[in-house]
Amino acid sequence: MATESAGSTEYLTKTAPLADSAVADSLASRWDPSPVKATTYSFPSMEPLRFVEYPRNHLLMPLRKDILHRAVVYEGDKTRQGSASTKWRDDVHGSGRKLHQQKGTGKARVGDRKSPIRKGGGVAHGPHPRDFSSGLPRKIYDQAWRIALSYRYKRGQLIIIDDEIAMPGDATPHLLREIFKINRWGREFGRSTLITDRRDDDLFAAVEEVGEHARILDRDDVDVKDLLETGRLIVEKQALDRILAHHSKDLNSTPAKATY
Amino acid sequence: MPPRISVLPAQLQQLVSKPVQAAFSPLSFLLPQLHQQSRHAHILASLSDTPGAYSKRIRRGRGPASGKGKTSGRGHKGQGQHGKVPANFNGGQTPEIIVHGERGFKNVLSVDMAPVNLDRIQEWIDQGRIDPTRPITVRELVQSRCIHQVKDGVKVLGRGGEGVLKQPIHLVVSRVSESAIAAIETAGGSVTTRYYTRSSIARILKRETHPFVSTAWDLKSGSEALYKAAGVEEELTESKIMQEMGFRYRLPDPTGRKDIEYYRDPAHRGYLSHLLKPMESPSLFFRSPAERKAATGSRKEKVLPENRLW
Repeated sequence: MATESAGSTEYLTKTAPLADSAVADSLASRWDPSPVKATTYSFPSMEPLRFVEYPRNHLLMPLRKDILHRAVVYEGDKTRQGSASTKWRDDVHGSGRKLHQQKGTGKARVGDRKSPIRKGGGVAHGPHPRDFSSGLPRKIYDQAWRIALSYRYKRGQLIIIDDEIAMPGDATPHLLREIFKINRWGREFGRSTLITDRRDDDLFAAVEEVGEHARILDRDDVDVKDLLETGRLIVEKQALDRILAHHSKDLNSTPAKATY
Repeated sequence: MPPRISVLPAQLQQLVSKPVQAAFSPLSFLLPQLHQQSRHAHILASLSDTPGAYSKRIRRGRGPASGKGKTSGRGHKGQGQHGKVPANFNGGQTPEIIVHGERGFKNVLSVDMAPVNLDRIQEWIDQGRIDPTRPITVRELVQSRCIHQVKDGVKVLGRGGEGVLKQPIHLVVSRVSESAIAAIETAGGSVTTRYYTRSSIARILKRETHPFVSTAWDLKSGSEALYKAAGVEEELTESKIMQEMGFRYRLPDPTGRKDIEYYRDPAHRGYLSHLLKPMESPSLFFRSPAERKAATGSRKEKVLPENRLW
């Protein structure tokens, strides 16, 4: 696909087997892993424009399914509304009058009409609003973002658009459909996720019309799960840069200093 | 319907399937597998935490080999077998807490000091995380993560001994140990202890209060070197400092007897020790022997002849 993992073969040739500590030392001093190269494209012509470089710990992270799992579960928990609510017999509107006398009717003994065994009564052990959110250390979550993007990059499913993802003003959904067909991004190829740096309502409306082929999200709306969902990511370079910058807290660990 | 998971891994499939699909060669019927559309198997379906992260459910009542077989871990007979028993329930007998009462007590006078050792402070200075030419207060220590979770104050301890400090430092903290005082003063530095509360420390960290100047703080409370390090001029009043530096809150001074006595003591390098008259005891209750003697007037010393022992 568009971006082949150019760095991976270099990586293999550079790591020679270490014979002894002297060799290891010299290797360590010469160890200068080359950054990851990716191609940027114009949209919608998909003309390759230039190479851009990213650090290896941004786009060449080894796949860790456990970290991805924890991130996806964390996000799922966080987005649960937890607003399910039922009324217990005390909360139900109504009187506490005994429905009929205790003895002598030949019927089963009863209390009031709000009892959970009666129609219209309260709900026993029903759900009540609560918070489902769980925690995940920030450094692990940031790693998960970069692992997800690296997974896409390594499979050639990360397509970086140099400028904005934009359509001509008079573009019809047909044109968009054609773009997805020609590039083989559509439904038959697992759909695509478009990620823009900021929300452009016209573009979003246009893409949502061809929703069977694509989904579109702005940078603030993207989760780790979104990065893993469809066949490929088509992402604006600025959005990618900002996502990576925002999710590298575990890399920029400068010791805290006193300020005066 | 094509299979959900493609036969070849995606990388290989891309290499192989592209030309085949593009060309639609007449021989494509010979390679039906390569001609398949690639359905993208979700990685989401195969995500899982490491096996060690999951614990196996204990299956109760499933035979003696399970270890939780016959009584399912609930023991024999009674309410405990069927449901829950309150932790303090003694079978209907008068509860233990009523027979014997509560034991222990909560010490309302205890304070929770964050300890910090001199070797750690020196390490922070070596790393450039604390500036030794400026006063080191709770604010600097917390900001540089030299201490965590300051509750009631900071106590400086002297691990590393007298030679641990490579340069003079000027400390203002809640408490200081004897060995730490010796080490700091041998290195030519100074240490002053002053009264802090939880809420005042929180305000200091938010830069809403000066880290050591309060109403009772006098120019004589700290050393000259401390003021020089802090860049404070001759006149040092709380109102002036607050106005100049834009602080919103005042720093509290002790009102309890024990606290006042601690900070009146020159042995603790307390910031109120300048209030002591010569020979006066830091205690607010007991007088020092010298003071007691002065109060009773000059009593004649009993002089014994040389041949008497008592």
